[in-house]
Amino acid sequence: MSFDASAGRAPTPVYLRLTDVVKTYDGRTNAVDGVSLDIRRGEFITFLGPSGSGKTTTLMMIAGFEALNGGSIELDGKDLARSRPYERNIGVVFQNYALFPHMTALRNIEFPLRMRHFPKSDIKKRAEQALALVGLSRFADRHPRELSGGQQQRVALARGLVFDPDLLLLDEPLGALDKNLREQMQVEIKRIHREIGITTIYVTHDQTEAMTMSDRVAVFSGGKLAQVAPPLEVYNRPANRFVGEFIGDSNFFEADVDPKRPGWVDIPAIGPVRVAEDHGRLPSQGTIDLLVRPERIKILTANDGDHMNALDMTIDALVHYGDSVLAIGTSRGRPLRMRVAGTPPAELKEGARLRVGWAPQDAHAVARS
Amino acid sequence: MPLLFAIIATAFLIAPLFIVVPMSFSTSTSFAFPPEGYWLGYYRAYFASEDWLIPTANSIVIAFCAMMVTMLLVIPAAFGFVRHRFAGKAAINLLFLLPLAVPHVVAALGYYGLLSRLGIVGTIFGLIIAETALSMPVSFLVVCAALKGYDRNLERAAMSAGAGPLRTFFWVTLPVLRPGILVAALFAFLQTFNESVVALFIGGRDASTLPKKMFESIRLETDPVIAVVSTLLTGIVVLAFVVPVLFRRKPAYVV
Repeated sequence: MSFDASAGRAPTPVYLRLTDVVKTYDGRTNAVDGVSLDIRRGEFITFLGPSGSGKTTTLMMIAGFEALNGGSIELDGKDLARSRPYERNIGVVFQNYALFPHMTALRNIEFPLRMRHFPKSDIKKRAEQALALVGLSRFADRHPRELSGGQQQRVALARGLVFDPDLLLLDEPLGALDKNLREQMQVEIKRIHREIGITTIYVTHDQTEAMTMSDRVAVFSGGKLAQVAPPLEVYNRPANRFVGEFIGDSNFFEADVDPKRPGWVDIPAIGPVRVAEDHGRLPSQGTIDLLVRPERIKILTANDGDHMNALDMTIDALVHYGDSVLAIGTSRGRPLRMRVAGTPPAELKEGARLRVGWAPQDAHAVARS
Repeated sequence: MPLLFAIIATAFLIAPLFIVVPMSFSTSTSFAFPPEGYWLGYYRAYFASEDWLIPTANSIVIAFCAMMVTMLLVIPAAFGFVRHRFAGKAAINLLFLLPLAVPHVVAALGYYGLLSRLGIVGTIFGLIIAETALSMPVSFLVVCAALKGYDRNLERAAMSAGAGPLRTFFWVTLPVLRPGILVAALFAFLQTFNESVVALFIGGRDASTLPKKMFESIRLETDPVIAVVSTLLTGIVVLAFVVPVLFRRKPAYVV
């Protein structure tokens, strides 16, 4: 079964609707190639994909910085095509902050209010509220160069939110921050999203960010949407091999469906394994990609019943993460990765040969395109 | 070793000041050094003499006008060159920088021929046109460099904040580019103010500039007033650099 484009259509009322959006720079190849997506009011959706997959270009078209070569974008039922960026009511936060260097933090945040002709008495109050929302009230009179990267990004966030925009667009906003600060800011952005409930589109190439923050993840690949689904579904039921490999660690086996034995597929060199049929993705014949996440593979003991798919694994290398250990090895010449949580058992050593396996329901079959 | 070079180079650059400044206060009637005595007579002479004050005023007017015209031409040109691609861009770029390569004497000859045909040789207007052409290349390069380092996301941020193209330009783009533009304007002003070759050819008697007057003064009469002028000019330039430093509260934003 191939990925159904209509899966991107949300059942609840649509707030932002992208229909067959196309963008081309050279007239031959499409940077964005027919993206259709419905976003609900108040939703936090992440555009995830490698660089050049069209996620940022799509965001820039929603903001109005790039023109569409095809399709349409509707916000709350109104076509955005004819409105210039400054006629839209959309807040944008950039990876490099893009704060105005000649203005203080407060002035930066007041800027959209001035440009949008908010009443004078309102401007200062709103800007101060926004500054308080991001926890920077003490830094109102600092210039951007006197603020740290994280503080600058908070100011940018406040500037993007202060005028009550219909949408908040974030373009890899944490890309320039170090890991600890990034996690702190993720929590912060989620808190702000909860507090004001603004419809938010978040662009990132970081799968952890996408997993932890989003209501739904839209995975981009080659200018197209590969899958749109809640994070856990994207992780457990990737629509295709690309999504499965891009998000999380993975073992993929090419396998042939056995038309005579329902529930069984045959992995060349390894042999027949059982797969759960209940998720309905298994075709009645042909070749499939079988995904088994490394943390679903375990070292088998005598207590494990014969319902497990079992195979022999030779451990080539161990990577210790502290909270878990990743075993990299092979099974009959095919690469295999296994992640064991907690303290690694004594028999897990480099060079060891172990009996490992997974339960049939922990394998996920993906049709080959 | 590098320190030694630095000291020698600095000494070489400022040594003339130690001659010229005392000489401007000299009582001698020629360029005698060290001076026999000190007084302010030549300062009085400078400020009393129309022969000096008119060229000074001419120089200021010409340099200011040439600077303004240069910036009005160079800023849009730099935006066009940095932000757009068009046919013949490299050739036009080269043409723009050509005045740097042509010796001023050659350029002066050309301007003389052209401006005399237009009947504006020996006028301030004619000189402004010629000096503008000469000051454009450096100013153009400076503004281009500033513009290349300018983050266009600032403009996008301004637009998403609700500012149209005009307000984006005047509220964000121009203020952020201001240091580069000021430097380009300063170069244009100084280039024109100090330029002597074209001024000699085109200036004539009615549009005599300060460098032209100084040149003539040194050639025809060894008048110590020239030391006064030199001292005043140096003083003004030093003030122009020192005053902003003294009155700056915070470090300026650097492009």
